[in-house]
Amino acid sequence: MILRENPVLIRELLVNLRSSRSFLLQLAYVVFLGVVVYFAWPAGEEATNQVSPGVSQRLFNLFFLGQFFLVALVAPTFAAGSITGEKERKTYELLLASPLEPSTILVGKLLSSSTYLVLLIISSLPLMILCFLLGGILLSEIARAYLVLILAAGTFGLISVACSSFFGRTSSALVVSYLVILPLALITVTVTQTDDVVLRDFVSIAVLPPWCIAIWVIVGLLINRRLLFPPDVGSEGKEVIDEEEEMKYAVGVVIDRELFPDMLFAPAKRTDLMPDGTNPVLDKELRSEIFSQGTLMLRLVIQVSMFLSIPLMAYLLFLRPELTGYYVGYVLMFNLLVGPVFSSGSITQERERKTLGLLLTTLLKPGTIVIAKLLASARVSTVLTFLLTEQLLLAYILIPELRDRWWTLLIFLSLIAATCVTTTTVGLLCSALSRRTAVAMVVTYLALLALFIGPVGLVWYLQGYTALSEERLASLTITSPFAAAMSIPIPSSDDGQPYTPSFLGSTALDLSIGSKTLSVPIWVAYLAMTPVIVVVLNVLTYLAFRWRWWRAGMSI
Amino acid sequence: MIEVRNFTKRYGDFVAVDDLSFSIGEGEIFGFIGPNGAGKSTTIRFLATLLRPSSGEGYIAGHSVVEDPMAVRKVIGFMPDDFGVYDGMKVWEFLDFFAVAYKIPRSSRKKIIAEVLELLDLTHKRDDYVNGLSKGMKQRLCLAKTLVHDPPVLILDEPASGLDPRARAEMKALLTELRSMGKTILVSSHILPELADFVTSIGIIERGKLLAAGSVQEIQRQLRAHRRLQIRILDSDLAHAEAILRADDKVRDITGYDHTLTAEVDGGDTEMARLLQHLIGSGVSVQSFAEVEMTLDEVFMTVTKGIVN
Repeated sequence: MILRENPVLIRELLVNLRSSRSFLLQLAYVVFLGVVVYFAWPAGEEATNQVSPGVSQRLFNLFFLGQFFLVALVAPTFAAGSITGEKERKTYELLLASPLEPSTILVGKLLSSSTYLVLLIISSLPLMILCFLLGGILLSEIARAYLVLILAAGTFGLISVACSSFFGRTSSALVVSYLVILPLALITVTVTQTDDVVLRDFVSIAVLPPWCIAIWVIVGLLINRRLLFPPDVGSEGKEVIDEEEEMKYAVGVVIDRELFPDMLFAPAKRTDLMPDGTNPVLDKELRSEIFSQGTLMLRLVIQVSMFLSIPLMAYLLFLRPELTGYYVGYVLMFNLLVGPVFSSGSITQERERKTLGLLLTTLLKPGTIVIAKLLASARVSTVLTFLLTEQLLLAYILIPELRDRWWTLLIFLSLIAATCVTTTTVGLLCSALSRRTAVAMVVTYLALLALFIGPVGLVWYLQGYTALSEERLASLTITSPFAAAMSIPIPSSDDGQPYTPSFLGSTALDLSIGSKTLSVPIWVAYLAMTPVIVVVLNVLTYLAFRWRWWRAGMSI
Repeated sequence: MIEVRNFTKRYGDFVAVDDLSFSIGEGEIFGFIGPNGAGKSTTIRFLATLLRPSSGEGYIAGHSVVEDPMAVRKVIGFMPDDFGVYDGMKVWEFLDFFAVAYKIPRSSRKKIIAEVLELLDLTHKRDDYVNGLSKGMKQRLCLAKTLVHDPPVLILDEPASGLDPRARAEMKALLTELRSMGKTILVSSHILPELADFVTSIGIIERGKLLAAGSVQEIQRQLRAHRRLQIRILDSDLAHAEAILRADDKVRDITGYDHTLTAEVDGGDTEMARLLQHLIGSGVSVQSFAEVEMTLDEVFMTVTKGIVN
């Protein structure tokens, strides 16, 4: 029953796999990997010579890391919506009231959401084997890599299904899954990619599988319980959450809207009418809707991100201050994960909750609505992200190396602020262009990945195979805040030399003005580019909203 | 006040609404009737400026729905058939939100909100969360929302759907009261009797086509041009009589039970007289020949079925 004749599994597999979209996505994926291998393939004179093992090893690492992060990123997008989607479509109660056992539902949801991912991973195997032909990699190495990938797909998928069963909205489930998966992914990469071959194999084969199985069992039991005894969700499956009531039972961080810093992202509810000239949409988003699903999601986000930041702060800021850029990288990564959650659903949700018709027939201009959505989501994501910069401030006060270069703090903070605005803007544009929140969110993540992480990966890949100068390569990374953060020089406490990550090559790019060539640090280019990108994207969002919804009235 | 001219909406090959034209005078309550999927909501969404027509025009209070949606939005209060509410908002906040969205100054907002709450009997729910309201309360809240800017035209898509009988009766009373306040109301329903006793004019739509439009009396007269007959006949002539009825192109849906034949007749008194004459002239022993009273709903059902099939 659980595997064969599982109606949940069969239905979802049919819907997911028979669409031409899934075929095209797989095709694009394999073609993309093929192109990567094609350009890296030794040609000409090189081909006749012995290929250095470095080339294939590098390609292999790139493949593994790329696919691992793909798994970490994509598994939640498939799985986090699996049960919340039922709740949002109001089919959850139908499913629970059916004689299906919770385990059947769970296995159906998990397998259907991870099958496609596993299919993608396996379809890259032939290309991986090509690298094996180049020499320098053992077959066992490849088998080990795929074992780790498949374990990761299963674990991350299951964690996301668990989040999905505990939250009411896909967006909340998604962001919490990401925050739980982020540290797990970082730890797994660290222990399975060390240079110590023995340790690497031991961890991958003897440690990881039992741990994963243990996690599967515990999480599986939790979900099973949750599905068997669902909480009372009230009529029409909608929970009405009383904030004050919830606060009484809150564990850990308590959000108080009257106090700093909570009032920055969640101003207190009004007790009287709005003053004249208020943007009603903005007011509604910040004061009413932010905690509509309870404060659980935001409290979890704050607590998990703070908890993670402590060991990172200790190592990256206090022990090795030259790695400050990496700590900022963590803050940026947090924003990359959390930012889109607030913006990418803001327009699609009006449609999904059937309030768009009410909103569009008022006298509000499209600009007012778009600006309100932008400001509300930018405010929440920026405040949450800046909560993580207090560690940075502390380090700049306490550590002499950093204190001497206090101006770099300002650059870091501007980088973070610029990134917050970018993630929100991209999310809002995707929300204006999509019909469903889930689609908007996935597209947002992919777009941000292409803007922020893609260029760094590309430079790293190209370094080995191109005759282009490092400065030329660096110009590819102007859209990446990660590259910008790493390009800010902080001298090491040991030798006084600034630390430059190997994958970046140069920290400056060449800008030719007339006959003169100017060397511009990446961060300068990034800070100069961001306002332009943000303005363009916002204009596009306005136009998209105006023409798709406000004016043309797509069937809502 | 409301005028629709040759409105057509196509989705690909499918024609949702086909060349629809009607007009509604000031102060009227226009009942827009048709079964599910007939094109009512499409037409209403078009009038509410939420849908671009494939062709055709619409005017509300002289403003073009297509060219000047902002002016139209000022004069209409729109209630969709299926709507949601914002989470985490209380009833008064919900109304305040829409009042601000309709640019009503703060000084008059307090009074207006109190008034609409009173009118819809929601005052005791003022501080409840909107997403915790029952379906009937939500319908009322949505109607309250359409009234905050005191629009002269109300466009209500199935305001009574999903309500219990008491709430339906209250909704009717409310619409009558709104009419007495001088508002022009377009209200849709898939049930004719629900509207028949308080609307002033009716439009019947099916499969995107307007079958009939006009005042209630007019429509009723049109509908009454359709009768249901019950004829009792002596056993020996039953087959003969049935054959005669079947051969007549004005007679449909003939059923026989015991020695009684029931049939639908398209036509009025003259048609009935002709039929009786014909039966007797053919030598059928008619025991009784009578018209069966039909409810408005039954007439509506048979008429729409007849025209569409």
